[in-house]
Amino acid sequence: MSSENERVQVGDARGDERRAAQVAAQTAAQAAATEEVEVPADALGTAWRLWEAAAGMRWRLVVAALSAVGFVVFSLAAPAYSAYLLDLLWGRIQAMFERGEGFVVTMETGGREIVIYLVIWTIAWVFYTVQAMVMSSFAERLNLSLRNRIAAKLERLPLRYYDARQPGDTISRATNDLDKVSEVLQRGVLQLIIAVLMLTGAVIMMARYNLLLTSVYVFFMLLSFAATKVIAARTLSIASARQAAVGKLTSSVEEAYSGRAVIKAFGREQASAAEMRAAAEELARTSTIADSLTNAAGPAIRFLGRIALVIIGMMAGGMLVAGRLTVGVFQAFFQYVNTASEPLTQMSMTINMLQGALAAAERVFRLLDEEEVEPDPAQPAELPRNVEGRVAFEHVRFGYEAKKPLMRDVSLVAEPGQKVAIVGATGAGKTTLINLLMRFYEIDGGRITLDGVDTRRLTRADLRRQFGMVLQDAWLFEGTIAENIAYGCPGASRDEVVAAAKAAHVDFFVHTLPQGYDTMLSGDAESISQGQRQLLTIARAMLCDPAILILDEATSSVDTRTEQAIVRAMEALMYGRTSFVIAHRLSTIVDADLILVMDHGNIVEQGTHEELLAADGAYAELYNSQFS
Amino acid sequence: MAQEAAATNRQEAGVEQEDYTLRDSLRLLARLIKPYRRLALATAVALIFDMTGMLYVPTELSAMINAALSPNGSTDLLVHGVRMLVASICGSGGAITAIYLASKLAANVGRDMRMAVYEASLAYSGSDFERFGTGSMITRTLSDANVVQQTLAMGIIMILPVPVMSVIAVGLAFSIDAVMGWLLLTVTLAVVAVSVVTVKVSAPIFTRLQAFIDRMNVRLRETITGVRVVRAFGREEVAKHELDRTFSDYADNAIRVNLMFSTADSLTFFLMNGVEVLVIWLGADRVGTHAMQIGSITALIEYAMLIMFFYMMAQFAMLSVPRALACLGRASQVVDLAPEVGDPATPAVLGEGGAGERASAHAEVARFDHVSLRFHDADEDTLHDLDFSLRRGETCAIIGNTGSGKSTIAKMLLRFHDVTAGRLLFGGVDVRELTQADLRARISYVPQKAWLFSGTIAENLRHGDAYATDEHLWHAVDTAQGAFVHELPEGLATRVSQGGTNFSGGQRQRLAIARALVRRADLYIFDDSFSALDFKTDAALRHALKDELKDAAVLIIAQRVSTIAHADQIVVLNEGEVVGVGTHEQLMEECPTYRAIADSQARKEESHV
Repeated sequence: MSSENERVQVGDARGDERRAAQVAAQTAAQAAATEEVEVPADALGTAWRLWEAAAGMRWRLVVAALSAVGFVVFSLAAPAYSAYLLDLLWGRIQAMFERGEGFVVTMETGGREIVIYLVIWTIAWVFYTVQAMVMSSFAERLNLSLRNRIAAKLERLPLRYYDARQPGDTISRATNDLDKVSEVLQRGVLQLIIAVLMLTGAVIMMARYNLLLTSVYVFFMLLSFAATKVIAARTLSIASARQAAVGKLTSSVEEAYSGRAVIKAFGREQASAAEMRAAAEELARTSTIADSLTNAAGPAIRFLGRIALVIIGMMAGGMLVAGRLTVGVFQAFFQYVNTASEPLTQMSMTINMLQGALAAAERVFRLLDEEEVEPDPAQPAELPRNVEGRVAFEHVRFGYEAKKPLMRDVSLVAEPGQKVAIVGATGAGKTTLINLLMRFYEIDGGRITLDGVDTRRLTRADLRRQFGMVLQDAWLFEGTIAENIAYGCPGASRDEVVAAAKAAHVDFFVHTLPQGYDTMLSGDAESISQGQRQLLTIARAMLCDPAILILDEATSSVDTRTEQAIVRAMEALMYGRTSFVIAHRLSTIVDADLILVMDHGNIVEQGTHEELLAADGAYAELYNSQFS
Repeated sequence: MAQEAAATNRQEAGVEQEDYTLRDSLRLLARLIKPYRRLALATAVALIFDMTGMLYVPTELSAMINAALSPNGSTDLLVHGVRMLVASICGSGGAITAIYLASKLAANVGRDMRMAVYEASLAYSGSDFERFGTGSMITRTLSDANVVQQTLAMGIIMILPVPVMSVIAVGLAFSIDAVMGWLLLTVTLAVVAVSVVTVKVSAPIFTRLQAFIDRMNVRLRETITGVRVVRAFGREEVAKHELDRTFSDYADNAIRVNLMFSTADSLTFFLMNGVEVLVIWLGADRVGTHAMQIGSITALIEYAMLIMFFYMMAQFAMLSVPRALACLGRASQVVDLAPEVGDPATPAVLGEGGAGERASAHAEVARFDHVSLRFHDADEDTLHDLDFSLRRGETCAIIGNTGSGKSTIAKMLLRFHDVTAGRLLFGGVDVRELTQADLRARISYVPQKAWLFSGTIAENLRHGDAYATDEHLWHAVDTAQGAFVHELPEGLATRVSQGGTNFSGGQRQRLAIARALVRRADLYIFDDSFSALDFKTDAALRHALKDELKDAAVLIIAQRVSTIAHADQIVVLNEGEVVGVGTHEQLMEECPTYRAIADSQARKEESHV
C-alpha cells in the first residue's frame, strides 16, 4: 500500500554518514594518545571563563547557534514535506496506471514539489554549512588568544613555579589541553545542542502521529542510552588501563635507551628485552580492548536502532494493511525515527568529551591564575652608566618554602673587581646565592645591594643586564650556532661572535661542523657534546661584556686543560669585574679574593685561601683531604 | 611521502634523511603482518558479513514494500521482518567481530614493531646507536609504532570495505534497473574523484600541521627549560614573541585544516541531497514506465548513501596513511641496519679467569696491539696506533683532553666499537673472535654517566651478579664509600627512580661503582667515575679499591692528576694518539703534555702549600 517508507533508510544514512565521518576524524586526531576523561571541578565557572575569554569573537558563537537552530527547524520540516511529496507522486502514478498510461515526471506532474523538497534540504544545508564554517575558526582563534596569554604568563611566572614542575606539565597545558578544548568547541558543543533539539523535536512529531509506535521507539531509545552509558563507562576504565600501560612502556623504553651502555656491559640484553616484551604485551592487550570498544560502540548502538526499526516496521506495516495508519503517516514516522536515532548515538560520548575539555580548560586557567612575580617598582632607581660591581648581602634571609627558612642571616661584600669563589656540598646553597643575586627568587629579609642600590628598587631587566652568566646545564635553543652565541646581544657582528668563540676556545670546534657558525642546533643535538655546549654558553657570556660574571659550575664537563685555557680567558675578561664562581676545582678557588664556604644554606666561613687554611675549619679539611 | 619524511626528520641532526623508500616501508609492514595471516583472513571474512548484512537490509525492505503493494501483500510482512532481523544480526555481528579482530591484529603488529626496533637496537654498537640518537630511537619505538598501529586498525575498518561495498552496491543497482545502475556508477565515480582530490589537497596541509605542532612543543620546552638564561639576558619579550609566532602559525594552519574538513563535510551533505532528489525523480520516471517497482527506490537511495558514507570514512583514514608509511620507513631504518659489531660464527673460548688467585700476577689481561679506530663517517682516526697492556694487579690510568678519545678506549674494550686497524687482545685472544657476552662477562664497567635503573638499590647492584648475597652487596657498597646507604631507612631495598634521579650525582656514582664491584671480573673499568665526588671521598675510595681489586686489572679514565698519580701505568692521550706512557714521576720528566695537565691542576696548590 505504500511506497512511502522508501524514505526509511535515507535519514539514517545521512546522519550516520556525517557523524561516523566525524568520529573517524576524532579517532584519527587522538590516535597518538588515549586520554582519560576527567570531570571538571567547576564546570559552570570554567564555561563562563571560556565565554569571557572569547570576548571579541562571541558573535561567531551567536551566528553559529542561530544557524544550528535553523538547521534543526528545516531538518524537522523536511520529512513532513516528503510525506506529502510521495503521497502526491504515488497517487499520480497509480492514477496513470489505472488509465493504462505511463507516468513521466515533469515540472507539472510533481517536479515542482521535488524541487521544493530540494530547496528545503538546501536551506538546511546552508544553515549547517554556516555553522560548521564559523565554528572551524572560532575554536582556534579562542585557543590562539589563550595561548598568547600563556606565552605572556610564562615570562611573568616566578622561577619558583618552574623549579617545582616538570616542563612537560606546563607544555601539555599549552598544547594538549587547549587542543581538547578546540576539539570539543568545533565538534562537540553545537552538535550537542543540535542533538538535543533534534531528538526532542522528532519525538514530539512522532507522538503527534502515533503514540503506540512512539512508545516502542522511546523504549529502544532508553535502551540505547543505557547501552551507551555502559560502553562509555567500560571505555573509560579500559582507557586508563591502557594509559597506564603506555606510561609503563614509555618509561621502560626511555630507561633502556638511556642506560643501554650499562645493559650491554652487564650482559642484560635478554633480561631487558623480556621486560620490554612484557610491557609491550600489556599495551597490546589493553589497546586491543580499548580500540575495539571505542570503535564498536557505534555499530553496537546502531544495531539496537536497526532492531527498533524492524519491529516498528512490522507493526506499522500491520497497521497499514489494517487501515489504521495512513500511508503518509507511515512514511513520516519512519523519517522521524531516523532523525532522532542518529544524535542519540553520539550524545553520551559528546558529554564525556565536553567534561574532559572543561577539565582541560580548568588546568589552563589554573596556569593563567598562577601567582606572578612582583611587578618592578613604578619609579625604579637607576644605576650609574658605569657600574662598578660592588655587591653586598646584608643580613639576607630566605627560604624556598615559607615554613622552612634556608638562609638565616647571610652577609657578604664583593668589592669591585674581586673574584668570589663559592664552595660547599650539593644543597649547601651555592645556587641559592646566585638565585637571589639575580632576583630569580625574592629574599624574605635583609637586602642585597649593587653599587649601594637595593636591587629591589631596580627593574629586573636593568639589574640582570649587569650580569653575565654561565649555567651548569648548558642551554642552547633551536637556531644557528651564531644565533646562540649572540643570544644576549642580538646586534653583535659576525666578527664579534667569532672573537667570543675564539676566546672561549670553541672556534676550532665550530669550524669542524659542516656549516660552521650557521650550523643549526636542535634541542637535544647529540652531535654536540656537553663540554662543547658549555663552551658555547661561555662564548655567549663573553660576548655580552657584563659588569659582573657568574660561573655556576659551568666548566665541570670540560677537562682541566681546556678549563685552564678558559680560565685564562675569563681572567682577562674578569679584569676589573666582580665575579662569582661556583666550582669544585681547587684551581679556581685558590686565587680567589674571597672564598665563601657554604653549608645548609648559610655561609659558615669566608676569607681568602690563606686565611681559611690558617683558621683550620671546614675549608681546611676539604682542602687537605685531597692529599690524604 | 618524501615531504612527510622530511618533516619528521627535520629535528634529527646527523641522521641521514629519507634514507628509506616506500619499498622498505611496505616490506616491513608485510613482515609484521605475515605471522597474522589467519587473523587477517578472519577479519576480511567478518567484513564481508558486515557489508552483505548492511546491503541486504534495504534490499529486503524494498522487497517488503513491493510485496505489500501487490494485492496479496500483508502475509509476507513477518517473513520480511525476520529476514531483515537476521541480516541485521549478521551485519552488526560481522561489524563488531571485524572491529575486534582488526584491533587485535593492529595491536599485535604494533607490539611486534616496538619489539623489532628495540631488539635491533640491542645489537647496535655505540656508533650505530648514535646514528639515530636516543630521542629519535624513543620516537621510533613508541610513537611511530603507535601511529602504525592506529592507522592499520582504521585502514582495515574504513578503507578495506570500500571496494567491496562499491562493487556489490553497483551490481545490485544494475540488477534492479540498468538506468539506475548507471546513475549509481556515476555517483560512485564522482565520489571517488572528490575523495582523491580531498586527500591530495589535505595530505600536505596535514603534514605541515604536524610540523607546526612539533615546533610549538620545541619552542615551549626551550622557553621553559631555558627560563633562567632568558631572564638573565633580559630576552623575555623576544621569547614571548617567538612563542606567539609559532602559536599563530599553528592557528592559521589549523583553521585551514578545519575549513577544509568543514568544506568536505558540507560538500558531502549537498551531494547527498542531490543524489536523493535525483533518485526520486529518475526513480519515479522508471516506475512510471514499469521498468522497476516503487519500493526499489528505497534500496537505491540507501545504496548511494552507503557508498558515500564509506568513501567519506576512507578519506579520513587515508589522511594518516602517508604518515604511517613514513613511520614504517623510519622503523625499517633501525631494523635493517646491520650492526657494526657482531659475534663470530665459531667463537673462541676464553680460559678460566675471574678468580684472581688462579692467574699469575702481572699476567696480561688485555693488550692494545697497534690499535686504531676510525668512525665510518670520519676522515681521521679517532684513536691512532695505541699500543699498551693492562695487567692483572696493576692500575692503568688514561688521561687527556676532552675529545682525546679516552672514553672510546673503554668502549673498545667492551666492544661497543671495533678496531679498524691493529688488534685488541683479551686474555690473549682477539676480541673479535669472542662472543660479546663472553667478553663482557669478564669486564666490570662504571660508565661516565652513572645511570641507575628504576627498582631497588639491591636490584641495581645485582646487575653485576644476579646471585650476589646481601653481605656481598653491603661489602661492595662500603668499598664504594656508600655509607649513605646505611642511613636510608630501607637500606638496600630503597627505591631508585628512573636514572637514579632521587640520588645526588655523587651518590649515583658511588652506587654505580658498587654495582661494578659486585661483579668478579678480570678487568675493572672506571670511566671518569670519580668526577662528582669531593676530594675526600675520592681519596678514600681509591684507597679502598686498591685492596679490593688487587687481583684484577684496573683501568681508570680520569681528569684529575690527583686521582691517578699513584697508578702503575699512566697513558697520556692527545688527539687520539698516545703521547706518553709511564708512571707519574716518569711522565713529569718526559711528557710535556702530562706536565701541562699536572701543572694546570697543581700550580696553585704548590705555590700555597
